[in-house]
Amino acid sequence: MSNGRFIALACLVGAALVGASMFVTNEYYVFAAYFVLQYVVLATAWNILGGYVGYVNFGTTAFLAIGLYSAAALNKWLDLPIPVLIPIAGLLCGAVGLAMGYLTIRLRGVYFTIATLALSVVVQTFITNWEYVGGSRGLYVMRPSEIPVFGSYVAYLFFLMTVLAVAAVVTARVIERSTFGFGLAAIRDDETAAAASGVPVLRLKLIAAAVSGTFMGMAGAPLPFYLTYVEPTSSFSLAYTVNSVAMPLVGGTTSWLGPVIGAVLLGTMQQAMTVLISSSVNLLVVGVLLVIFVIAAPNGILGLIRSMGGKKADPEANPLAAMLVAEKRSSQ
Amino acid sequence: MMTYATAVAADELILDARGITKRFGGFVALNKVDLAVRPGERLGLIGPNGSGKSTLTNCLCGALKTDGGSISFAGRAIDNLSSYQRARLGLGRSFQLPRPFHSLSLLDNLRIPLVYAVNARGGTHLTEQQIRSRSSDLLGEFGLGAKLHRLPGDLTQVEMRKLELARAMATDPTLLVSDEALAGLSHSEVDEILALLLALNKRGVAVIFIEHIMRAVMAFSERLAVLVAGEKIADGAPKEVIADERVIGAYLGQ
Repeated sequence: MSNGRFIALACLVGAALVGASMFVTNEYYVFAAYFVLQYVVLATAWNILGGYVGYVNFGTTAFLAIGLYSAAALNKWLDLPIPVLIPIAGLLCGAVGLAMGYLTIRLRGVYFTIATLALSVVVQTFITNWEYVGGSRGLYVMRPSEIPVFGSYVAYLFFLMTVLAVAAVVTARVIERSTFGFGLAAIRDDETAAAASGVPVLRLKLIAAAVSGTFMGMAGAPLPFYLTYVEPTSSFSLAYTVNSVAMPLVGGTTSWLGPVIGAVLLGTMQQAMTVLISSSVNLLVVGVLLVIFVIAAPNGILGLIRSMGGKKADPEANPLAAMLVAEKRSSQ
Repeated sequence: MMTYATAVAADELILDARGITKRFGGFVALNKVDLAVRPGERLGLIGPNGSGKSTLTNCLCGALKTDGGSISFAGRAIDNLSSYQRARLGLGRSFQLPRPFHSLSLLDNLRIPLVYAVNARGGTHLTEQQIRSRSSDLLGEFGLGAKLHRLPGDLTQVEMRKLELARAMATDPTLLVSDEALAGLSHSEVDEILALLLALNKRGVAVIFIEHIMRAVMAFSERLAVLVAGEKIADGAPKEVIADERVIGAYLGQ
């Protein structure tokens, strides 16, 4: 399918989702669907660096929280509308992604991952001590109860997140089939060999980190309005990080479709479990699934489907596995 | 010591490396090594294990930073260029252990150097169709024409070596550094790869041929250099070099 037709199809799916949301009478479903779509954005964004380039980022919360808090702060200060806050949060997080990349992306494998984890801690410490957004006490975000065209505010937020999800998926798909995407795949498979083939390794990795960070930040911008109350502990919840790693791995990391499958599957499951069992079971189930998939189906659900078509599994295409062999490789 | 670099005017050289020094901590892996290659020349590079051959390759191709010396390629100082820039200038390399892009088909393995080295060089810009035909032609030459859409994991050891060379050749190099392309291959397989390398050289590609198999080295090289413990102890006509006492001493022990 050409990029043009894919974009048209993705917009159509997005429009159908938004259309459907307007007819849903129980607002909880729209609320839950927003949660799932937010993970479509986060997982897709994570996968641009984690899946396509093989750099396992454990700093999703940092990017999401920067997006979230920059939107909350700018809203408090200037009362800007969300469609303006989203690109600002995106730019900010893209810059943070670039800076983080510049400082850490020369590190291979697990060292990079630890550095991204450290970024979360640094950002959380900063936010916790930032009085303007309430510090550790948190901040209430007022939202109008009604909004023109959409009616309920939740439907409006759902519309915005649908737009973001469509944009993220389209970006991932376009990257995947582009020269840039081939360069990223070469880097993931073997950085030294990629450089020897003329691939500007550092530059491509930095662009991927910036794009990935941008989408994570944009996903965070509407979040204060969705939650109406933000505070550091829940904003920096480990769940965001674990989910955005687990979803692409469960779905399959080498294609745009993998994170989407993973996010819809795990996201829906978590919402259902929260309602039916308890919200604390969520992470346990995600963790167990992650372990099962890494061991039994390293290429995720997409890999399982492909293996039915006779294709062999490629365990090294799993970023977690590749992270560990990277050390061995680079010493050769 | 036979000095070669000084015998030829510098502007006639495709590669002119002088005084290359590389240390790993306190260990001197390369000590002031000079290496010069003329356009289209076939230079054999031998030396016992651990003598610094692969380190030299990595220094020449930019995978390692040198601790001293200067390298010029095609009349241009490349000391400050990173590996991808050197590849774009026409300094190609193949790895001792094949390092294919394992998630990409054979065709796409060759696409990478075509779009990132050849297209980035300026001048010609290959269209999608040209990329496809170039990579399938090249794979055909290397006897991999039947496996264009397969993954490297499906290849045998010899085929993997061929892919490694084909990918290096796809950068369209003027100098190819071939790091032990023959290690672990059978007698007939060695001849097969050797024939491929000779055919590449016929097209004007200079080759630095790093190898342990002396039969292949002697068949291939116009000139032979010997590295021992990070120092170049000989450089000259192959027959004279292997008769050199110091070379014999280094290989057989004194």
